[in-house]
Amino acid sequence: MKLIFKTILKYYLKFLVRLTVFVHRPKIIAIAGTENKTFIKNDILETLKNKGVSARGHKKSFNTEIGLPLAILNLPSGYNFYKKWLPIIFKAPGVLFSKFPKYLVLEFGVSDPGDMKYLLSLIRPQVVIVGEITQRYLDSFSGMDKVTDEYRYLVKSVPRNGIVIFNTDNKKIKELIKDARARKVLVGVGDGVDIKAEDIIKTATGQKFKIKKKGDEREVSIGKFGLHHVYSYLISEAINKYVD
Amino acid sequence: MDFPRTKNLRLSVIKKIELEASKYPDVISLAQGIPSFDTPPGIKRRAENALRRGVVAKYSLSPGLKELRELIELNLALDNMYYDWQNEIIVTAGSIQAITATILALTSAGDEIIIPEPTYTSYREVITLAGCKPVYVSLHEESDWSFDLDSFEKAITPKTKAIFYCNPNNPTGTVYSKEQLIGLAELARKHSLYLISDEVYKDFIFDDDQKIFSLAEIPEYRDMVVRIFSFSKAYAMTGWRVGYLHTDERIAREILKVHDSLVTCAPVISQYAAMGALEMGEEDVRKYNKEYRKRRDLICQRLDELDDYFEYVRPESSYFVFPRVKEKGISSEDFSYKLLREAHVAVVPGVAFGPNGEGHVRMNFGKSEDEINNAFERIGRFFKAK
Repeated sequence: MKLIFKTILKYYLKFLVRLTVFVHRPKIIAIAGTENKTFIKNDILETLKNKGVSARGHKKSFNTEIGLPLAILNLPSGYNFYKKWLPIIFKAPGVLFSKFPKYLVLEFGVSDPGDMKYLLSLIRPQVVIVGEITQRYLDSFSGMDKVTDEYRYLVKSVPRNGIVIFNTDNKKIKELIKDARARKVLVGVGDGVDIKAEDIIKTATGQKFKIKKKGDEREVSIGKFGLHHVYSYLISEAINKYVD
Repeated sequence: MDFPRTKNLRLSVIKKIELEASKYPDVISLAQGIPSFDTPPGIKRRAENALRRGVVAKYSLSPGLKELRELIELNLALDNMYYDWQNEIIVTAGSIQAITATILALTSAGDEIIIPEPTYTSYREVITLAGCKPVYVSLHEESDWSFDLDSFEKAITPKTKAIFYCNPNNPTGTVYSKEQLIGLAELARKHSLYLISDEVYKDFIFDDDQKIFSLAEIPEYRDMVVRIFSFSKAYAMTGWRVGYLHTDERIAREILKVHDSLVTCAPVISQYAAMGALEMGEEDVRKYNKEYRKRRDLICQRLDELDDYFEYVRPESSYFVFPRVKEKGISSEDFSYKLLREAHVAVVPGVAFGPNGEGHVRMNFGKSEDEINNAFERIGRFFKAK
């Protein structure tokens, strides 16, 4: 019963997503990788807001076959309760007639082989960020190369006029650069990148670092701790610079 | 064979009274600090899915599953607390294991730890187990169980290593104010002390505009504050044994060594359940709070009806009320056992929570309304029969 309901729900949401994207034609920014996607999403949304661009993410980190459509349609989850799903299902078509943002900032996560293919059957991003590839979901794959292949599939899918932002401090992500047809933007703390963080210092209230990009160098302070926030900042810089 | 490490430990008075209570088949227990609810179905489903996927049989990393710690960081940020999930958050087997690992990491044998009391019974045992000495500072019932900083300052000696408090406080249900806590932090800073803040009841909010402040919100204090949280109470998950602590990387690194040697990692299936709690538990917490608020009002009303025998400070949080027994000349322990024997109602003697708790009993209103009403019918008859 549950499986039948889930299957029907999956196809219903998929149909609605395709229709919504056709009607509203939003630009899609997809944040991919095994961790830290939500931090990056939050920073990108903040950046776009500061640029005065209308954008929406999703409050929850939905990135599965049911979760991603919900994020696109801006609907809550009914989780495992039929009763909760019913009003959501009825309300869903309303999105076709509601105001829609210019950008959708979505998390693209994979936990099983083939997940990325399904997510791309729903929606095609114009901007892709590959933040981290680690062993987090390795259990469902036969090896790290198979995990990386999921992200390779995403990187290859971005059209030539799109952008792919790579965190090149991650060895597995570095392997993907050659597969991108779109414009590549490299970020990290290592050499040979377009946007680089240097001299990262932990302070009493957060972190301080230098940000270097072509012809520009400045000092930045953030009120958050951990290297993942530095990467997230660099990615937001890339979005600020390269996305209209 | 004199068991030097354990000879000064006591079996929790709560456990003792529960053991005694189990001899009475019709007993109503307001003693044990457990919620009446079952774990929300969404959380259980999260654990079931993990079990089905075959991802719970192996150890996790010692500080916990990456995805759970990431979620914890995101959740903390909603409360203005910014901690790095990779280096500053450790998932533990409940809060008591977090407390044990913290105290063992921060202290040496012979150190003193100040605890405002009445407070949770097991603090004394953990401190004693670590070879340290608990130093009690009394809370003031006449000012709604608040504390005054002078008492803390007077209690500080060259051996003092930390101040360890519970906010909201068990058993009094007191929420310490931001001003009081900042005063405490400044005092700790002046004397180079750590602050251990047990905040397992922080989600028990009875008024919509209530906000429970934590010193962990202030970045300047992060290198001296260890904040501890458990999923047990807020999400009705006492049996899952899962919680977490967070603190500055410098301290977390040391606590992690102890945590690793104590349990390797928190139970993995419970870590998945904890993810379910953070992802889907918000609505359940709101629902429980609404219910606890009703029960708090009910138990206060029932205590008001017995105002010849009890007086109390209305709890602002948690699911405990800590009334004073007006009857003179009887210890809280004798009163509790008499109540158990004659009325078959179990409460915890106040002395279990420290010397200042003498003369009081702790009642848990996490129980159902029927149980609370039935317990108070019996208590009423118990007093009238005197």
